[in-house]
Amino acid sequence: MTQQTPSPAGAIQFRNASITYPNGAIGMKNLDLQIEPGEFVVIVGSSGAGKSTLLRAVNGLNALTEGTVAIDGETVATHSSRDLRRMRKRIGMIFQDFRLVKRLSVMSNVLIGRLAHVPGWRAMLNLWPLPDREIAIDALMRVGITDKAWVKASQLSGGQQQRVGIARALAQQPSIILADEPVASLDPVTTHQIMKDLVRINRELGITTLVNLHFLDLAREYGDRLIGLRFGELVFDGSAKTVTDEDFRNIYGRDFTESDLLEDSA
Amino acid sequence: MRLAPRPRKNLLFWLGVIVFLLSMSLWSARGIGFSLTELVCNLTDGSRLLRESWPPDLAFLARLVDPMLETVFIAVVGTVVGGIFAIPVAVLAARNLTPNRLTWFADRNFMNILRTLPDLFWAMLFATAVGFGPVAGALALTVFTVAVISKLYSESLESIDMGLPEAIRAVGGSWLQMIQFGALPQALQHYVSYALYAFELNIRASVVLGLVGAGGIGMILETQRANFEYERVTMIILAVLVAVLMIEEVSESIRKRLT
Amino acid sequence: MSSHSDLLRQPGPPIGFATIVTFVIALMFIVSMFAIGFTPGQMAEVPAGVARVLSFFWPVDMAYGWDRVLPAIVESIQIAWIGTIIAALLSLPLALFGARTLFPRVARVVKLISATARAFPEILLAIYFVPIVGLGPFAGALAIGISSVGMLTKLGAEVVDSLDFGTVEAVEAAGGSRILALRWAVLPQVLPEIIAHWLFRFELNIRASAVLGVVGAGGVGGVLLNVVLAIDMISGEIRRRIIRS
Repeated sequence: MTQQTPSPAGAIQFRNASITYPNGAIGMKNLDLQIEPGEFVVIVGSSGAGKSTLLRAVNGLNALTEGTVAIDGETVATHSSRDLRRMRKRIGMIFQDFRLVKRLSVMSNVLIGRLAHVPGWRAMLNLWPLPDREIAIDALMRVGITDKAWVKASQLSGGQQQRVGIARALAQQPSIILADEPVASLDPVTTHQIMKDLVRINRELGITTLVNLHFLDLAREYGDRLIGLRFGELVFDGSAKTVTDEDFRNIYGRDFTESDLLEDSA
Repeated sequence: MRLAPRPRKNLLFWLGVIVFLLSMSLWSARGIGFSLTELVCNLTDGSRLLRESWPPDLAFLARLVDPMLETVFIAVVGTVVGGIFAIPVAVLAARNLTPNRLTWFADRNFMNILRTLPDLFWAMLFATAVGFGPVAGALALTVFTVAVISKLYSESLESIDMGLPEAIRAVGGSWLQMIQFGALPQALQHYVSYALYAFELNIRASVVLGLVGAGGIGMILETQRANFEYERVTMIILAVLVAVLMIEEVSESIRKRLT
Repeated sequence: MSSHSDLLRQPGPPIGFATIVTFVIALMFIVSMFAIGFTPGQMAEVPAGVARVLSFFWPVDMAYGWDRVLPAIVESIQIAWIGTIIAALLSLPLALFGARTLFPRVARVVKLISATARAFPEILLAIYFVPIVGLGPFAGALAIGISSVGMLTKLGAEVVDSLDFGTVEAVEAAGGSRILALRWAVLPQVLPEIIAHWLFRFELNIRASAVLGVVGAGGVGGVLLNVVLAIDMISGEIRRRIIRS
């Protein structure tokens, strides 16, 4: 197995950051947040609380309308596409709906994570350098689906597809991984497997990991640090192990119900 | 590295495809006397015609209004009548909906005959039958529309989900009810966009039909071209361009609202 | 196609709008019928007239000979092939950059180019090419190619615009440029449908090349029909395979 070169650092810092959407909706409000390298952070909140907005602000998919977000001290520059691409190179993203190119093989999908690391003409012509292919295979090994490397992504189950999504992020050799509701389209058994994968990768490679979760029990079980958002504002920041039901009530602004728990709703 | 080797079975297939495409292209290029040098070297010869075509004769615009309207009228009639007739033709040609194989086979061949014969043939046919003029053009476009829509729509119908139609049959619905409530609504959006597509095609086709005397703006185009009035030809093309752009805007907004 | 339970859940089109559109179309239709001077009397003449014209085509003039018909058919297939190849090569990049969602500004230019190409009737285009390459099949192929570029660009751009752009965002989130997103997220998803359009266009172009006067004889109809039947079968089979894969 080739060594995943652990990218240094991966600190994220929001300073007085706000996002107001063109339609007037508030996605983020005066956020001050410091995330240290290697942390495993779970973000919870009811839908529309700004969980996705927060993640997407880190890699510039959503631009701040006020304040700054910086990675290892460097401000995310949403106006310069070149700088933005250079920063995104080191930030892997995992999506709720996987976002694989279904007609391509698993291998090609994982190689998409290497796009920013190889010369453009090589990526255009599908001529991947050997080291990059090895990094892709290594990423597949870490999620345990090397046997599916040449299978079309459309032929995989949901859990397998999300593993490819994780492998694609890992192929970037990222210092940060953003997982936007990574288990929302999966069944309970697969959900736990994927969450365990994410935690294991965080431990093994020291990649700063931010995960949006809807289910409270999952947040408790897998999170180290827990961040609660409500109407775009930070309303909770503490340990996921010691968070109380009262805290959850505060975050959600209501009593939580069975539908907020994976085990009971399943 | 423990990784199964990449399967190579497709390599030969793709090689075959590439060889076929290349040899077909070379054979065709030789057959029609394709020559890039001829094209590039003589490009200046073509500029004479382009110089004559510019600037467009703006004063001619006033005389284009009526023929342009006639073109639109022809296209409307052709699209509406053809669009209605296309539905049964498409249903009978859809493998999953047709009542029996014989009907399917006959209808499929009927469709193919319609599509084989060029629109100009239909224009000449109907011009001889009902006399030169817009009615002949509208009839020709009717047939042309049936040809275009029925083929596309029958393909959409073949890819619908059969659960609903089968359910209607299962609860005792007739074949017609199955088609009406189970099959057609599923592909309705496709039908709308094909009908709008056919209308756009018809506007341009009716320009061509005019060339053989089936009414519309094409008739003016042909007389001006025959008289080498290329500045007027450019004006006519511009008018058609504006009409095509406008119709596309409208049809796109309709499509967006309906989907 | 989604499963039918999904379809049942989809909200139908807004009824008000659909009714208005239907009404407007019906009105336009009636106005048009009057405007072009349509009379029921004319309709009564149609069957007899059509029969008369069709009788010109029968019996088939076998003396005209296959040796003259076949080369003409071969030539019209060659013209259509070159025209379609030209159109496919030119329209693919245009269609990719003609997607409004990805390139709002470039898409407007592409749209104008494609509409201009479509505003010229093929016959007129051929006339413009004659001074350059002389009268003959080459001019026909160029004319067919240019006019097909317009349609293929439009249809291709529509295919691209109907995409789910999630994968494009995934590529961009991984630091890929928009061009690379076209190559790795858009192209693999749209290529099968775009190739299906190329095949359909090839079929149309065979007929267009016949119209261009290369194949003019009455006896050709039957042969041409067989050719179209064969291509219809082949392209249908290819399309099924592509879409299934």
